[in-house]
Amino acid sequence: MTKKTHLFAEDSFFLSRRKFMAVGAAFVAAMAIPVGWFANKLARRNDYIKARSAGLYQDDAIAKVRVSHRNPAIEKYYSDFGGEPLGHISHELLHTHFVDRTKLS
Amino acid sequence: MTATTYQAGEIQGLIEIDASKCKGCDACKKFCPTQAIVGASGAAHSIVKDRCLSCGQCMINCPFGAIKETHSALDRVIRKLADKDTTVVGIIAPAVRVAIGEEFGLGTGELVTGKLYGAMNKAGFKIFDCNFAADLTIMEEGSEFIHRLHATVKGEEHAGALPQFTSCCPAWVRYLEGNFPSLLPHLSTAKSPQQMAGTVAKTYGAKVYDMEPEKIFTIAVMPCTAKKVEASRPEFNSAWHYNHEHGAHAAEYPDVDAVLTTREMAQLLKLLKIDLATTPAYDGDSLFAQYTGAGTIFGTTGGVMEAALRTAHKVLTDTEMAKLDLEPVRGLEGVKEADVTLFDKQLGQEVTVKVAVVHDMGNNIEPILRDVAAGTSPYHFIEVMNCAGGCVNGGGQPVQGTGSSWIGNIG
Ligand code: SF4
Ligand code: SF4
Ligand code: SF4
Repeated sequence: MTKKTHLFAEDSFFLSRRKFMAVGAAFVAAMAIPVGWFANKLARRNDYIKARSAGLYQDDAIAKVRVSHRNPAIEKYYSDFGGEPLGHISHELLHTHFVDRTKLS
Repeated sequence: MTATTYQAGEIQGLIEIDASKCKGCDACKKFCPTQAIVGASGAAHSIVKDRCLSCGQCMINCPFGAIKETHSALDRVIRKLADKDTTVVGIIAPAVRVAIGEEFGLGTGELVTGKLYGAMNKAGFKIFDCNFAADLTIMEEGSEFIHRLHATVKGEEHAGALPQFTSCCPAWVRYLEGNFPSLLPHLSTAKSPQQMAGTVAKTYGAKVYDMEPEKIFTIAVMPCTAKKVEASRPEFNSAWHYNHEHGAHAAEYPDVDAVLTTREMAQLLKLLKIDLATTPAYDGDSLFAQYTGAGTIFGTTGGVMEAALRTAHKVLTDTEMAKLDLEPVRGLEGVKEADVTLFDKQLGQEVTVKVAVVHDMGNNIEPILRDVAAGTSPYHFIEVMNCAGGCVNGGGQPVQGTGSSWIGNIG
């Protein structure tokens, strides 16, 4: 970086706000967001997404029961209390309605 | 133009840009599913509240740490944990168990369910695994799907709309409510696992815990910032309604009292001087800690679909799926598809169920919605998650190689 640019950045009081913003934007673009930053960022992101997902698939693989309908606790919930899926209590407690948000006032 | 896109009582402006820290680099705009972020390059940006889904994707991807959340329940949670008169129930989302370890020096993606149960038990929580509620969601949402499918095949008049969309992701639900309200009949009416968990904890749970519902304080631990807004939706007080109808007189309370993100849960444990990494595993204290493999994969893209199909297969054919792993809906492709052909016993015929899985919603959902609106969609069942990768990459998760740290990493 040239000395002059450095002085501009330090000495911002002597620049108009607009010009200062323009210099600032160029500065940021040059320093922080080099060409390829987005691809680089996405690659890093996908790495940790994959690692975390792998953890969940591992949890699935080691589970004693792997299908929801055979969860003994779920069976107990329905037989002790909830009745059956889509039944009366389910409608009251486990389902909802949606809102047209273009029509709120 | 309407005055607001929020119902009374809902948290507004959860995600905000700190103008004094924003460099105007535009990075956040690339991650926002709704173009809610405005401002010229180089100038401080701001968020248009009515368009924002509170998904937090901009926040975890801002290289300058300029974006913040405005609502934290941490202080309230600490007070409730200290109150001997209150039963504090911690509802733990699937994706939390593979990320919170990162805040305690464990490896990325390390599965820490037992340790997390242990640490939360030490902190004073009852353990209510949201995976139990995910299993419950599959029972309800899967049954609903089968109901719609059969009614459609039989040509019944009030058959529910197909394709059916999943409804677990509050950012997606809010997006549809705000941008494509005509497609709302396609959304499954099943509540999200978070909301089912809160409701069950304060109804059936009150019996299991032998505790008055109004003394139960439910805290959801979520990988997601939008879940805070979801919990604040005024219609989510079903437990109070139910208990009221059954003779209770307590003042109105929500199903989920507070939401902590994964980051905030880590913060809480650190404040309480509990080191998750060295905490011995704990099994949980009730049936609400029992969950299946299907419930846990809800936390990643494709998981809800895979879990739903496992159960739909059993209900439709009366046999378990031969191979439970459904590879076509796994992985990071933006839109994934699968066909499942099976013999439907009730209909006495073969049916092919076509499903699609969408994540990274902002980049992938529009063409699909246009097809559904035009009546040309080839699918029967569509899973939609706002965040790329699903909840494992939610806006409430530990910030990994993003935030300010990734500037230093670019070389
Ligand atoms: S990513 Fe952060 S610094 Fe860049 S424009 Fe957005 S809020 Fe500002
Ligand atoms: S929270 Fe999500 S929807 Fe809101 S501005 Fe950020 S990225 Fe956009
Ligand atoms: S995908 Fe998951 S983390 Fe992201 S907004 Fe939806 S529910 Fe929240």
